[in-house]
Amino acid sequence: MSARRRPIYLDHAATTPVDPAVAAEMMRCLGPDGVFANPSSSHAMGRAAARVVERARRVVAARIGADPAGIVFVSGATEANNLAIKGVIAAAPAGRRHLVTTRIEHKSVLDTAAAVEREGVAVTYVGCDSAGLVAPEEIERAIRPETALVSVMRVNNETGMIQPTAAIAEVCRERGVPLHVDAVQAVGRLPLDVRRDGFALCSVSAHKVGGPKGIGALWIRGDVAVAPLVHGGEQQRGLRPGTLPTHQIAGMGKAFELADPAEEGPRLAALRARLWSGLERIDGVRMNGDPQLAAPHILNVAFPGVDGEALRFALREIAVSAGSACMSDNPEASHVLSAMGLTDAAATASIRFSFGRTTTADEIDETAARIREEVERLRRLALGAPSWCSAWRSLRATDGPVFG
Amino acid sequence: MDYSAEVERRFDSPAGAGNVSGDGSGIGVGEAEDRVLNVWVRFEVQVDGDTIREARFRAYGCPHTIAAASWTAEALRGAPVSALERLDVEGLQRALNVPKEKLGKLLRIEDAVHACWEQLSGGATGRRVED
Repeated sequence: MSARRRPIYLDHAATTPVDPAVAAEMMRCLGPDGVFANPSSSHAMGRAAARVVERARRVVAARIGADPAGIVFVSGATEANNLAIKGVIAAAPAGRRHLVTTRIEHKSVLDTAAAVEREGVAVTYVGCDSAGLVAPEEIERAIRPETALVSVMRVNNETGMIQPTAAIAEVCRERGVPLHVDAVQAVGRLPLDVRRDGFALCSVSAHKVGGPKGIGALWIRGDVAVAPLVHGGEQQRGLRPGTLPTHQIAGMGKAFELADPAEEGPRLAALRARLWSGLERIDGVRMNGDPQLAAPHILNVAFPGVDGEALRFALREIAVSAGSACMSDNPEASHVLSAMGLTDAAATASIRFSFGRTTTADEIDETAARIREEVERLRRLALGAPSWCSAWRSLRATDGPVFG
Repeated sequence: MDYSAEVERRFDSPAGAGNVSGDGSGIGVGEAEDRVLNVWVRFEVQVDGDTIREARFRAYGCPHTIAAASWTAEALRGAPVSALERLDVEGLQRALNVPKEKLGKLLRIEDAVHACWEQLSGGATGRRVED
């Protein structure tokens, strides 16, 4: 029975609360006494705002190992991914009308790929293995002479699996194809060095790491041609015109300054291990992915023997996701878990837990206890149910019975 | 997905869950399942003459399924045995504000209740399976 209890937020891969230091930084740019002027204005107040923007640009660039000149501020990762894919294809030489991406990308990449596909661009979707990893060899096989871009995420937003993007970048370099990396889930959780790793473009977002929503960035290597999606000014070299939102950019800069993976990564990994330790006592429970190869802030778990919707509703005071938050109103199985080979039943009974700066060990322990209690309650309600309810004969097509 | 307060209440405290006690006389058991809809329900009713003395359920499925099974078990208790013949699915849908796309799950509850009726009426299997 689930009485009203204190809410627990374990959905940091969806978004994070704005850090108080970030909010303070943003407030400095909003009021009449602050740095509110248009950063493109030439007067002193405008130049002060421009300095705030340029400082944030340097901080964001430093966090991902990029040159500040390559940073283009946009409204968020969705726009960054759109700009990367559509912009590179639009600027590519005639005849280069092929995109390679993967089946496990975020919807902002997959839907953009579908959009360019409708405009006549050929798209190859590379799959993953049962752990959720994309093989560089598969990317290599997918690249054609007419390939304009390869787009692969750094960390999967549903499973946390770290993709071998440096190896994929090497493949791309050998074939002369730029690599775009959606690194939204990597910032602040893993060290990032876009130049060392050979990326050509990289998308990042502020609100996943204690920054405000509505601001993100696309880093573009100097030799990569990108056509703008919108027109109307010379700001940011015409690649993303429009008055720069100083407060948003300042907030993103502060958030990226605070997002130190060396400090936060080990703490998040310990929280993940603690939660798994509390959950693995549940009969038949399975982890989707491999913790040895995953970012520290995400744990995706399948709970056989309970209906996924029922379990999520039972845990409604605990903010978690079924797959990605962008998909949470969609009862269909996660495309990522399906690509990993899970059955629909296994995928829909899977929950993503994601941890952040505000997550405590007490919250983890309480979450594990509440989940154990609810899984037991729901399984008791289903006592006597046929085997397909309580024993997934195939969590994956090749697996045997996993529960009961 | 939105859930009504009644669904929430019944999901959290599903009155009528469990099995009826007794030696088997006057007990009807009915089950229905649908793998595509991810739902299984089982009802046990104990009748005394023309009256349903007790009704209990077990269920695997979404919150609406569990709440609807609970609502049905309570509605059957004390009702005439003829209530097993045909469940008021529309009334159930209204009472719990169940979305239309979940109507199929309520129909499985109706199937299970009807299977109780069939068993009590003359030895049917008491089980409906939709694949």
